[in-house]
Amino acid sequence: MHELDEQLRELIPRLRRFAVSLTRNASSADDLVQSTLERAIIRWADKRVESDLRAWLFSILYRQFLDAHRRTRRYARMLEFFTGRDDAQPSVERTVIAQSTLQAFDQLNTEQRALLLWVSVEGLSYKDVAEILDVPLGTVMSRLSRARQALRQLSDGEIASPSLRILK
Amino acid sequence: MISLPPSERDLHAYVDHQLLESDRRVLETYLAAHPDVAAQVHAWQHDAQLLRAALGGALQQPANPDLDPALIRQRIKRQSRRHLATAAVLLIAVSLGGIGGWHAREVSQPAQLPMADAMQAFRLFAQDGIMPADYKGQGGGTMQAWLDRYFNQAHRLPDLSASGFTPVSGRLLATEQGAAAMVLYEDPQGRRISFYIRPPGPENGFLPRGSRSADGLQAQYWSGAGYNYAVVSPADQPTPTMLKF
Repeated sequence: MHELDEQLRELIPRLRRFAVSLTRNASSADDLVQSTLERAIIRWADKRVESDLRAWLFSILYRQFLDAHRRTRRYARMLEFFTGRDDAQPSVERTVIAQSTLQAFDQLNTEQRALLLWVSVEGLSYKDVAEILDVPLGTVMSRLSRARQALRQLSDGEIASPSLRILK
Repeated sequence: MISLPPSERDLHAYVDHQLLESDRRVLETYLAAHPDVAAQVHAWQHDAQLLRAALGGALQQPANPDLDPALIRQRIKRQSRRHLATAAVLLIAVSLGGIGGWHAREVSQPAQLPMADAMQAFRLFAQDGIMPADYKGQGGGTMQAWLDRYFNQAHRLPDLSASGFTPVSGRLLATEQGAAAMVLYEDPQGRRISFYIRPPGPENGFLPRGSRSADGLQAQYWSGAGYNYAVVSPADQPTPTMLKF
């Protein structure tokens, strides 16, 4: 009935993959995808005709994740304050030295994960990425360069993962 | 056109297939003669391949029926119907409430003159101020989102910021023609203008663009995207010049 629905349906696996790479958790990833789809359906009229649907959806999802993440971090800090420990950290993973690309990828920061997924995996153009992040093209390229170096070093094990250990 | 030796950006653009064909050939020739740079580039390409392979599996998850767009669309519709039902109850409460009853009865009278209900709503809510807002916004963006919950793909809220007016509150109303909403704008001097939207009603009473004044109020009205609209302000208040929609 809605042609948009058909296009959305096709992109759902990609949205879920992106969401998992941000949240590292399948069920919160699906929550994120669901609210992204809701917003996309409501805001469909606002989308600029010439912009790429996939890039537009990625940008909605990314913003929602950052907002939710900020709220969670505030909550985690509060929790830490009251309980004296930090439950939000996946402590074991943090201390494992990267042995594979995926593990290395998981150690990158949020924006670096998003950048590499958009460019290396999804093949979005630098211009699309610049629009999603709302930064100039040159900034996209220098951030991408840093993300790539970081991934390289982590995969090679040149830098052992931060030797911070969560003390309980 | 790239220059040699290539910048790091050019190397990344090469890895990402974002170089022009001619530049790509130039760079490949250069890489063939510079094994150290080539090794760096290959390492990046290799990482990208590994990443694509590692994340490929994530595309094969079993479908989650909650994510079906048609279902989500229905859920959004149900939600807005619920919101509208709440608004209708609110209006009945006003009709029975005595203080606003007389006005409210007029609001729900069939409009004899174009968008008479919009002007009544302005008197009732903007001038008499007898009812609290259903929604108070912090700027145009959130108010638009609030309105979009009830009106599907309607015209955007007019931007009156050039004249100092910003949306401050929204109210839902039930009228003979269907659910309506009024968004109140205020300027720093406390002057008010309203934007009013509702369906054209069972007779599809779409309006040619026009304006009229009555009882100290002036209204501009028009139709589009399946709805009727009005902008109402006191007659003694200069109409913002950019009121062209």
